[in-house]
Amino acid sequence: MHLANGPVPPGAISELVAKGGQNHDCGAHSLFVGQVKRDQTDGKYVSAIEYSAYEEMVIGEADKIYKSVLSEFSDVKAIDIIHSKGLVKAGEISLLVMVSAGHWDHASRACAKTVELIKEKLPVWKKEIFEDNSGQSKENE
Amino acid sequence: MEISVLFFGVLAEVTGTSRKHYRDIESFDDLKHRISDDFPDITQYSFRIAVNNKIANEESLLRHDDEVVYLPPFAGG
Repeated sequence: MHLANGPVPPGAISELVAKGGQNHDCGAHSLFVGQVKRDQTDGKYVSAIEYSAYEEMVIGEADKIYKSVLSEFSDVKAIDIIHSKGLVKAGEISLLVMVSAGHWDHASRACAKTVELIKEKLPVWKKEIFEDNSGQSKENE
Repeated sequence: MEISVLFFGVLAEVTGTSRKHYRDIESFDDLKHRISDDFPDITQYSFRIAVNNKIANEESLLRHDDEVVYLPPFAGG
């Protein structure tokens, strides 16, 4: 688990895939890339999201997520999570998850499960920043 | 005892601060009352409370220098 300052650079994807390639027991890597969307609320467009995190708790909760996913999907070999903190503009990456497994089905389902648990369990919050520089906290839908 | 309190997400906006220090706290209940007296609007929001990185419950006890954290619903991703 890594908290990136600002957006996750797109190059992190190739770095993770290269790292996964070193594990020859894997037959599949499943990637989830979450990016900030230019949502519209009350006629105003989102220009960025400011993420805050309770960092002392993030690592412990990420460990629980790893254990939970590994207990459900025995074929999983590795899970990598990079989440942003701070300001991420629309179109930039705020979450990158890669799950490596022996076979594609476990990689794919475990990746979806990991994203679900991140949204539910990771102590991270988001504040939408609008194009007029106003802002409001937002919960996951 | 002295306790540091952190507020995250919407609760940092409601209280206007991300950290507040309390002195002469007698118990967890005493702290919670002091906080809701200082920030009455906070009671309109849903949140959980953590003590030193762990989610607290009704029986949680506080010790001198503990860190208490007000956590609104998580919104990662």
